[in-house]
Amino acid sequence: MEFFTTALGHVLTLGPLSAMTGSTLLGVFIGALPGLNPVMAIALLLPLTYSMDPLVALAMVAGIYNGSMYGGAIPAILLRIPGTPASIATTFDGFPMADKGEASKALKIACWSSAVGGIASAVALMTMGPLLARLTLFFGPAEYFWIAIFGMASVGVMVGSDPVKGIMAAVLGLLIGTMGIDNLSGQARFTFGQTWMLGGLDLIVVLVGLYALPPVLQLAEKADLRGLSAAQLKLADAPFKPGELRGLIPTWLRASGIGIGVGILPGAGGNIAAFLSYNAAKNASSDPESFGKGNPQGVAAAECGNNADNAASMIPALSLGIPGNVVAALVLSALTIHGLQPGPQLFHQNPVLVGGFMVEMLLTSVLIFALGGAVATRVFAQFQRLPGVLLVPSILILMCVGVYVINGRPVDLWVMLGAGIAGYLLEKVNVPLAPIILGMILGPMAEQSVRRALLISRGDATDLLTRPISAGLAIATLLVILWPVVKTLRRRRAARA
Amino acid sequence: MEKRQDIALGLIFVGIGIAAAWMARGYSGASGTYPMVLGVILALFGGTVSIKAARSGRTEARRLIDAPGHFFTTALIATAYVALVVPLGFYTASVLLMLALPLALGFRRLGYALIVALVFMALIYLVFSVLLEKPLPREAILSILGAGA
Repeated sequence: MEFFTTALGHVLTLGPLSAMTGSTLLGVFIGALPGLNPVMAIALLLPLTYSMDPLVALAMVAGIYNGSMYGGAIPAILLRIPGTPASIATTFDGFPMADKGEASKALKIACWSSAVGGIASAVALMTMGPLLARLTLFFGPAEYFWIAIFGMASVGVMVGSDPVKGIMAAVLGLLIGTMGIDNLSGQARFTFGQTWMLGGLDLIVVLVGLYALPPVLQLAEKADLRGLSAAQLKLADAPFKPGELRGLIPTWLRASGIGIGVGILPGAGGNIAAFLSYNAAKNASSDPESFGKGNPQGVAAAECGNNADNAASMIPALSLGIPGNVVAALVLSALTIHGLQPGPQLFHQNPVLVGGFMVEMLLTSVLIFALGGAVATRVFAQFQRLPGVLLVPSILILMCVGVYVINGRPVDLWVMLGAGIAGYLLEKVNVPLAPIILGMILGPMAEQSVRRALLISRGDATDLLTRPISAGLAIATLLVILWPVVKTLRRRRAARA
Repeated sequence: MEKRQDIALGLIFVGIGIAAAWMARGYSGASGTYPMVLGVILALFGGTVSIKAARSGRTEARRLIDAPGHFFTTALIATAYVALVVPLGFYTASVLLMLALPLALGFRRLGYALIVALVFMALIYLVFSVLLEKPLPREAILSILGAGA
C-alpha cells in the first residue's frame, strides 16, 4: 500500500495531472477519427517525451490509451465505422441504437462502460503486478533469457493469422536489435561502414515508421475528399428507462473479468476482449435475439471489455517485461527512452515510476467519466468533418518532426520512411509488425542474459534448462510454438474423419 | 497471387537470414555467434513460409496495394518532402507538403487546405519551436533574405 501512496503523491502534482487531462482528451479525439489509432498516436508522442519527466510521459501514454479506446466508439456508434479495431463489436448494437434515435444514450453507455472497464483493469494491474514482480526475485540470467524468448514466441504465435510469419517477424526484430556496437565486446555489427549505425537503429524511429506510416498510406489510398456532413453527426437524445442503468452492472462485471483475462495473455488485444465480452453478454441475455438490433447491453459489453484489456495488458509488461499488446510494447519503449530497463528489475529499481504509471492508468479511466460526456463527444465528432486527404500530410509532418527531434539527424527520416513502407508491405502479406518491435526491445535483454548465463556456467548450455523456473519457461515456450502445429494436425484429422 | 507473394516473401527472409549469418561469421567470439544463430533461424523460417506456400493449393487474389495511383503519389511526395526538409527548411517544406499532397490526391479546395495548413503549422511552431524549443532544419528563405539584407 505504501508503494501506491508514495506514487500517488508524485502523480497528484501539476505536471502529471495536466498531462493526464490533456492526453485523455487528445486520446478521445484520436479514437474518434477513423484512420488514427492509439498505437499511431503513442508512437508519434514518444519522441516528444525524451526531455520530459518519465511520470509526465507515462501519464500522456495512459491518457491517450484509455481515451482513444473510448473515442473509437464515437464513429462506431454514429457511423458504423470503428474508430479503432477494438470498437468493431461496438458497431453491432451502437449503430442500430443511433439509427433508432438513441445515439446520445449509446454514447453515454459507451463512455461509462469504458470508464468502468478501465478502472477494473487498473485495479487488477495494481494488485496483480506487484505480486508477479515478487516472483521475479528468484530469476537469474537464464530465466530472463527464457522470459524474453517466451514473450516473443507467444506474441509471434498469437498476433496475426500465421504463427510461422509471426515468429519470423520476431526473429527479424531480434536481428535488427543486434545492429550497432555490441555492449559486451565492443564489436560493431551490421553497421555497413556507416558511423551513424554504430548506435544501431533507433527503436523509436523504426517504431514511428512501422506503426504510423502504414495507416497514413491507407488513408491516402482512400483519398477522402469530403469528410462527414453536419447532418451525419447530429446526435438525438433518448432518456434511460427505470432500472436500465442498474441492469448494466452484471454486464460490466462480466466484461471486466473477460477483458482483464484477455489483457494478461500476451498477443491478444482489445478487439478480442470486446468480441468475447459481447458474445458472453449475448449468451447470458434472456433476449439474445435483440442483440445486433440496438441492445444497450451489447454496447456496454463491447466497450467495457475493450477498456478492461488496457491496464491488464501492462501486467506481464511491467512485471516480466513481456508486453501483452503493441501499446504495452510502446510503454516499454517509453521506459527505454528514459534509460529504464523494462522487465522484472523495474519494480525493485523504480517503484515510484511503476506505481505512478499504475495510478495514472486508474485516474485516466476515471477521467473518461468526466471528460467523455455528451458535450465533449459532440465536439470531437465535429472533427470527422475534416477531409481525410488533409489529415495525411498533417500526420506525415508530425512523424517527421517527432523523428527529427530525437537525434537531429536527417538520416533518421529516411530510416523512418523505409521502415514505414516495409511495414505497409509486410502487413499486406500478413506479417505482423508487433513481434518486430518486441524483438528489438527484448533482443538486447535476451542476448545479454544468455551470454551472462553461459559465462556463469562456463559455456555449459544445459545450465539454461536445469533450474526449475528456466526449465518451466522453456517448456512453456515450446508449448506455445507447438500449439499451432497441434491445432493444424487436429483440424486435418477432423477434416479427414 | 497469394501463393507467389508468400514464396517471394519467404525467399526474401531466407536471403536476409543467410546474409546476416554470413556477415556474423566475421565478428569476434560470442558477439558473432548470437546474430549468426538468428540469421540461420530466420532463413529456416523464411524457407518454411516459401515451402508452405509452394505446397498450398490456395491462389486467391491478395492485392499488395489497394489504390496504386494514390499510394505511389503519396510515397513519392513523402520522399520528396524528406529530401527537401533540410535544404528548404522544416516549415517551408511542410507548408508545401500540406498544399501539394491534398492537391495531388484530388482535393481542389485550395483555400480550405491553406487555412488548415496555416493553423496546423502555427500549432507545430508553438509546440516544437516555442514550448519545447527543439531545433528544426533552418529555413532557406530566411538565409537568403538575411544574405540579401
